[in-house]
Amino acid sequence: MRQPTVPLARTLIALLLLLLGVAGCANNGSETVRGSEFDDMWSMPALPPPAQYGNVLISRLTRSSTHPPVVFSHWVHRRFFTCRVCHFELNFELKTNKTEITEAKIRKGEYCGACHNTKIAFGINDSTCRICHSGNLAAPDARFSELKDFPKALYGDKINWVKALKRGLIKPQQSILDENYQSIPFSEGLKLDSEWVLAKTRAVFPHQKHIEWLDCADCHPDIFNIQKKGTKHFRMDNINRGLFCGVCHLTVAFPVQDCKRCHPDLR
Amino acid sequence: MKGKAIVLAAILLLCSSVVLADNFGTKKRMPRPEEFGNVIINNYSTKNNIAPVVFKHWIHRAKYTCRVCHVDLGFAMEAGGSDIKEADNRNHLYCGSCHNGKDAFGPTTRDKLVSEVQNCDRCHSYGKDVKGQKDFNEYLKGYPPARFGNRVDWMKAEEKGLIKLKDAVEGISIKRQDIPRPKDFEIKSTILGMPDIIFSHKIHADINGCELCHPEIFGAKKGVTKYNMQDIFAGKYCGACHSKVAFPFYDCQLCHLKEVY
Repeated sequence: MRQPTVPLARTLIALLLLLLGVAGCANNGSETVRGSEFDDMWSMPALPPPAQYGNVLISRLTRSSTHPPVVFSHWVHRRFFTCRVCHFELNFELKTNKTEITEAKIRKGEYCGACHNTKIAFGINDSTCRICHSGNLAAPDARFSELKDFPKALYGDKINWVKALKRGLIKPQQSILDENYQSIPFSEGLKLDSEWVLAKTRAVFPHQKHIEWLDCADCHPDIFNIQKKGTKHFRMDNINRGLFCGVCHLTVAFPVQDCKRCHPDLR
Repeated sequence: MKGKAIVLAAILLLCSSVVLADNFGTKKRMPRPEEFGNVIINNYSTKNNIAPVVFKHWIHRAKYTCRVCHVDLGFAMEAGGSDIKEADNRNHLYCGSCHNGKDAFGPTTRDKLVSEVQNCDRCHSYGKDVKGQKDFNEYLKGYPPARFGNRVDWMKAEEKGLIKLKDAVEGISIKRQDIPRPKDFEIKSTILGMPDIIFSHKIHADINGCELCHPEIFGAKKGVTKYNMQDIFAGKYCGACHSKVAFPFYDCQLCHLKEVY
């Protein structure tokens, strides 16, 4: 018969090593490794000044040239076009510097060139280069006053775009490829129960408000699986890292600091 | 000692499983219009020190129906699934059915000035800067636009007579009597508010015949094959074509088109 103490000791060592291993894994900085969800739940990314919220510095190719990077301002564009126009129909990726934009492609009518062709918006010529290639994130600030009559929000660019759309202050184009485009009439509102037991932090998700701007396939199936239980790792800490809702709601759509817009029960 | 080794192995396994966790919560890169439907075939190429083949669906579907290659010529629906060898092509199978120097360029072309030109690079082009005979943007200029995929509405292009698809390869396809097309039908959505699907047998059968879908992808009797959108996203059922070559499933309203009130 075996001594009972030996397996016990072994089990303890095993457990200790396992815990160390897990901790080591969690801290090794790999992109997909996630630590404790409580570590990062409140670490929301810092916000820029309202006029610069949603501004993006595009330097994929300018970095290795003498040209200043491009400053793209979301609030300038989202008044006129829904998200789906650029982030789907024009193939713009959802991460800065991931889109393979080149000047030649723009001149051929791709990416920015779909509109910046003198017909819809200013075209590319020697006098207009600097409008985009400013290299200064604060460059579009002067035009921010154009939005002064828009409904207010608490964070981000401090504009409630959902209300602005509802009140007809903006009429963004739904599609530039299909004149008769109509979004799918799917308006199911989701109520997502929190894993917390002590506080009521249920999240709400209105499909309707999202499809006014986005195509179904902007989010499904890549970012969110279409089955609730199939979307794994959907937690606040991951959102703060730019995943799931954080793909848009950290940098362009109203930021996560505006807790109550998704968690209405939060006090 | 043995116990410790097992524990260490377990830890390593656990770490690697965490590190290798799939990319979740992010958007995948969308293929560019000229890339959509391109297939890389590399069963034997790299092993034989030659660049893998890049097969472009767009240039072939502008000339032939899907059925010709995927039924008559026996091409699989997955890249590399046909296990094509060079000898097959030289024996007029697979690509060699057309790429024989008569119907389309063969392995070599006779030239008036130079005696023979090797054409290997034209297909074995992966990772090389090979300029195709036809430029995507030039070739498809003026075609009716679509929102996704190749950004070409292939159905409309055919309707307008911009393309005329051949449904047979001479000497290989054997003509059979046409089977009357079954009626279009609805597929009920299981989610409240999601518009139902209208499936057109005519549109599909004209370019695919019956054999491409039945009985393997879809059973012959309606309602027998159970599938959902998840399966389609994973490249099964409708997704066998509508994730890679036919208009992609991003374009929801092309299938989910019956209005709900």
